[in-house]
Amino acid sequence: MNGTSVALAGFRGAADKQKKLIIAFFLIVFLFVFGQLTVSNFLSFGQVLLTIKLASFIALFGLCQMVVMAGGGDGLDLSVGYTATLTAVLTASIMNGQNANLWIAILVALAIGLLVGAANGFLAAYVKLPPLIVTMSMSLIVQGGINVYTAGANITGKPSPVLQTIAAKSTGIVPNIVFVLLIVAPVVTVVLSRTRWGLALFGTGTNARAAFLGGVPVKRVRFASFVISGLLASLIGLLLLGNMGIAFKDMGSNYVMPSIAAAVVGGVSMSGGEGNYFGVILGAIFLQTLTNLLVAIGWGDAGKWLGFGIVLFTLLIVYVSDRRVR
Amino acid sequence: MGKDRKKAWAATRKYLAKPEFSTLLILVAMLALAAFLQRNFFEAKSLNRTLNAFTPLILLAMGQAVVIISGGLDLSAGTALSLLTCVLTSVMRTANPVSGVYAIVAAFAVAIVIGVVNGIGMGYLRIPSVIATFATSFMWLGAALFLRPTPGGQSVPWFKLFYDVKAYAGAPPALKAFGSMVPSALILVLIGCLFWFVLSRTRTGRYIYAVGSNHTSAYESGINTARIQLRACVINSVFIFLAALFFVGQNQSGDARMGDPLTLRAIAAAVVGGVALSGGRGSVFFALIGALILSLVNKIIFFADIPYAYQTLVSGVIVIIAIASSQAYTLYSRKSMNRRGRLA
Repeated sequence: MNGTSVALAGFRGAADKQKKLIIAFFLIVFLFVFGQLTVSNFLSFGQVLLTIKLASFIALFGLCQMVVMAGGGDGLDLSVGYTATLTAVLTASIMNGQNANLWIAILVALAIGLLVGAANGFLAAYVKLPPLIVTMSMSLIVQGGINVYTAGANITGKPSPVLQTIAAKSTGIVPNIVFVLLIVAPVVTVVLSRTRWGLALFGTGTNARAAFLGGVPVKRVRFASFVISGLLASLIGLLLLGNMGIAFKDMGSNYVMPSIAAAVVGGVSMSGGEGNYFGVILGAIFLQTLTNLLVAIGWGDAGKWLGFGIVLFTLLIVYVSDRRVR
Repeated sequence: MGKDRKKAWAATRKYLAKPEFSTLLILVAMLALAAFLQRNFFEAKSLNRTLNAFTPLILLAMGQAVVIISGGLDLSAGTALSLLTCVLTSVMRTANPVSGVYAIVAAFAVAIVIGVVNGIGMGYLRIPSVIATFATSFMWLGAALFLRPTPGGQSVPWFKLFYDVKAYAGAPPALKAFGSMVPSALILVLIGCLFWFVLSRTRTGRYIYAVGSNHTSAYESGINTARIQLRACVINSVFIFLAALFFVGQNQSGDARMGDPLTLRAIAAAVVGGVALSGGRGSVFFALIGALILSLVNKIIFFADIPYAYQTLVSGVIVIIAIASSQAYTLYSRKSMNRRGRLA
């Protein structure tokens, strides 16, 4: 009897923890069914895969947001879009369609990500400026860097074939980028929940003071989270280039705010200390499905944005609003 | 005598230690630089032009400051401004002067609705304000595109009064004489200042600070925190409404996309002006100064003959420098104050 109730409580706890994941999943199913009922041919295997493919970049950028948000301190990274763009613009000419040059491109990408991430992290964690403003200004600076580069030289070059295979091609009917997500998600989950650094990150986000007293170098952990976000954003830039085939000035900026929304819809707390990458992926798929549905219904731009705003707001009312405290 | 001097020095130090002082220093430096680069900077005509270019950002930054001080953030301010310009130009008919009044009433009502929706989201439903207003910004964008898919629309001629009295041919001579001395933009900004000056003396004004600096203790001391946050959002809407009047007066048209870039700039302006994003600290009037600083940056970049390609880069760097220096200044002066306190 006692054992059963303990097991039940344990199950309830687990279900409670994954509640947002489950809600997100059922919302996606609901959207597809609703789409199938209103727009013909909305629910098909190909359509689902296409949606996941389109959502994958939001999900990847969502990883940057999740890492930064998990560390608390109002973490956010608005600079990921332009960091990715800068990498794509610079590496396109380096790679020039050659696989042999991919190594150099990756090194350049890592250098850019390290530079931007370290600057963000230093200003946000050590100088203690608000991350929103720091990363916004940083995105202006990186955008400015792109403007300076393109004023002096044309954007030329192509991604290497390997990148194109990973980001744009499919194996059978499954887009290859889905495999990237399938590899990244478990790795992220293990790193964040099983390594010392991951625990330190969530500890910092939950209660920075307690973490500090417990011996966690809070500033260094937050600094590292921004560096990781920068590095990831820069590598995503390579994939984005592979997907698009060419680099252009604003290729990454449209993903920034959706990636934050995907993280929040996927259950990452904006105040830190909470988050599950599978949730972020579901959040990204949800947002993409919603966009597809609103486009398919055919109300035009106005209807698309109005619907997006209303659904997102309603969804937030349902499960982000925090009424438990009192 | 010596004691008096010591007292005066202590008072001065206290004043110097305020973060507002560093903001003022930056403003003076910027003004000096602008005046140095643009020789006719302080001439009336040039000042008027400068003010006209700065006004929308100033008004948005002041409104944003109210929300930030109450502990929130409004990412929908820019799209709300766009929506209001679309409402104004959709209701007005060029041939019918009275339609301008209807348009103002309609736009004001929409502004209040915008504030109430944002306020319900962050106040009553307790959605984090960043994500709540991110969601509502799409609603305003969608509604604006619904009214006006492409920039345009009609405006009554007398709406030019909100931009420049002289531009309206039908204005009475006395009004024209007054308008040539006092630009409309200045009046709009002064209305905004007066509005907040009066409000800040009321209970709501002080509660906004209380809620922003410590939500829980404000709630526990009997303040209806949700209602105060809602009011802060509505106050913000009034500032956005004033900015919309100015924009339509200036352009005689509405544009569903014009406001987007202003949102983050207005937040940055408030922060440069010393308003803490954590809430509860800062002054709405210094958000005005922050907006002046940010706008002067663009002006200086323009007149310093910096190549166009470098403009975004430089303005990003300057925002970081401005915020970092004000932060460093506060920390430094607080530390030195503490040291003095311990020694004395």
